[in-house]
Amino acid sequence: MIRTFKKTGLGAAAVAVTLLAGQAQAANWLLLQGTEPSDAAPRAKLWGFIQPEYQSTDGTELAAGPWGGQSAQFNVIPPDLKTDSTFQIRRARIGVRGIGFPLDSKVNYFFLAEAGNNGITRPGGGTGSVKLTDASVTLNHIPGARIRVGQFKYPGSEEGLQAIHVFDYINFTNVSFQMMLERYFNGNGSDTFVTPGGNSGPGGDANRPNGPVGAFRDIGIQVFDAFRSGDWETSYALMYGNGNGITRSDNDDNKDIYAYLSTEWIFGGKGGRRQGFKMYGWMQDGKRTLTTAGAGEYDRERWGLGSTYRRGKWRAAFEYMEGEGMILNGTDGGAVVGSAANGPGTTASFNVATTGEADGYYVHFGFAPTPKWELNVRHDVYNRVTNVAAAERQFETTTLGVQYFFNKKARAILNYELRDADAPNLAGTAPPNVILDEMDDKISIQLLAIF
Amino acid sequence: MKRIHRLLLSVAIALFAMGSFQTASADKESKPFAEKRVVLQISDNNPFKQTLVLNVANNLIKHYGADKVDVEIVAFGPGLRLLFAENANKGRIKSLTDTGVRFSACQNTITAMSKALDEPVKLTSNAVPVSAGVVRIIDLVDQGYQLVKP
Repeated sequence: MIRTFKKTGLGAAAVAVTLLAGQAQAANWLLLQGTEPSDAAPRAKLWGFIQPEYQSTDGTELAAGPWGGQSAQFNVIPPDLKTDSTFQIRRARIGVRGIGFPLDSKVNYFFLAEAGNNGITRPGGGTGSVKLTDASVTLNHIPGARIRVGQFKYPGSEEGLQAIHVFDYINFTNVSFQMMLERYFNGNGSDTFVTPGGNSGPGGDANRPNGPVGAFRDIGIQVFDAFRSGDWETSYALMYGNGNGITRSDNDDNKDIYAYLSTEWIFGGKGGRRQGFKMYGWMQDGKRTLTTAGAGEYDRERWGLGSTYRRGKWRAAFEYMEGEGMILNGTDGGAVVGSAANGPGTTASFNVATTGEADGYYVHFGFAPTPKWELNVRHDVYNRVTNVAAAERQFETTTLGVQYFFNKKARAILNYELRDADAPNLAGTAPPNVILDEMDDKISIQLLAIF
Repeated sequence: MKRIHRLLLSVAIALFAMGSFQTASADKESKPFAEKRVVLQISDNNPFKQTLVLNVANNLIKHYGADKVDVEIVAFGPGLRLLFAENANKGRIKSLTDTGVRFSACQNTITAMSKALDEPVKLTSNAVPVSAGVVRIIDLVDQGYQLVKP
């Protein structure tokens, strides 16, 4: 399926680029993040945003398994995974963008750094530090083929590609958080470690990520552009990147390939909240190299399609995604990574299904009764490791949201997540289902200020 | 006969020069019923100023009516970027031109920027070069135009 889509997707992109005429002036994610308004951009625009937040669950502990009675990974708050309720600065980003030489708008740059508390700065609850999320230069010299080089968001899933400061929710959907938001590991987590003397205690390999989460970004080169024909705007992007995350070089000779094609019927407006109806498809294909447990090279393929709608008071979105190869497969017994099992046992680690399959989707609706208020509801489903019956897990979340806009640059978001998960091919009394039955709902509130 | 040719050539050059650098009197004639005459200055690199000066021109037209107000935008120095051919505001510039707003581009700046770029600056077809932006403003003020620097 992925290979078929790859061929047709790339072909369609090439045909669209060839046939469509007239370069677009209106923006989309590719243009918004990778270009500047022609001859109307500053030499250096300082900008950024801050997201202080509070998240809470009931903190229900694991009901079964070797870690029974201990904290459940899914009921504590990431990235630190130490408590079931916390205030934290989810994101705090500051950046500069513009045109270094104002007389030549054909070259622009984008720089952004992250100082918040998240998987970029504290992967798997590890040591935190300020990290570079974006650093790219775009060359706009070839009509129809802008070239962006550096570290930036790869063309892909709408939830990942969209600017996070216009995201309508606090947390990502299950499919984006687990399947798309990549963690990079040295091993597959299969190392077993029996505590010495059969007693409980720390030890073993927790198989924590070996760097920041991918943050839907890669380092490489992208060719892209958008073409306007009447009220329709069609965009394409092809990217060739390391496939090894951000802030570092590649760890093997394999490179990732990304392709993206979208077409949008534009109703009006501009920027990140432009009104329109967009349809899009994307794919990515790469390999990952493990060096410890399960050492070897494994495929990592993803593809998806979806649409967004925004007009007047109404918003809607749908996206379906599939993945093959490297699939993040949770933690041992649902325990917090690094926890020692009760009695003889192992250390809970992150696991990866190296030849796994997964799929998922989300549906989102929004209604803004007044300019100050917006109501949102989102339902998402993620089917993890569907190719191994006993290992398959299904995650289903319905998120109810309210947003209050203090002004165009500041808003508050309140989310209540009704969360469910189960092992659909196991008996209801099987330990995995007993554990997953204890998945709590989550309440989150976040302030967002853009400057 | 040669003398006549030289005379005709001189007249042609003079006419060409006059056409290249608009005279203030010709501008006033283009809006004979105007009750207000305004010259807007843009000499800043800030893109927000580009939007602002176009907004001000638009607001003047909306308030007084296209026939009752005579607006000229003079761009010089870093502000000349507003009149670059590919400027993101080129659609608005064309719309304002259609309502009678004039756009003057400083020739001194054009020359200096062309030198910095190593190639001729490409301006929107709606821009009319004037010998010097600041001189153009002084001339217009002398003729009763009010200078506004948004």
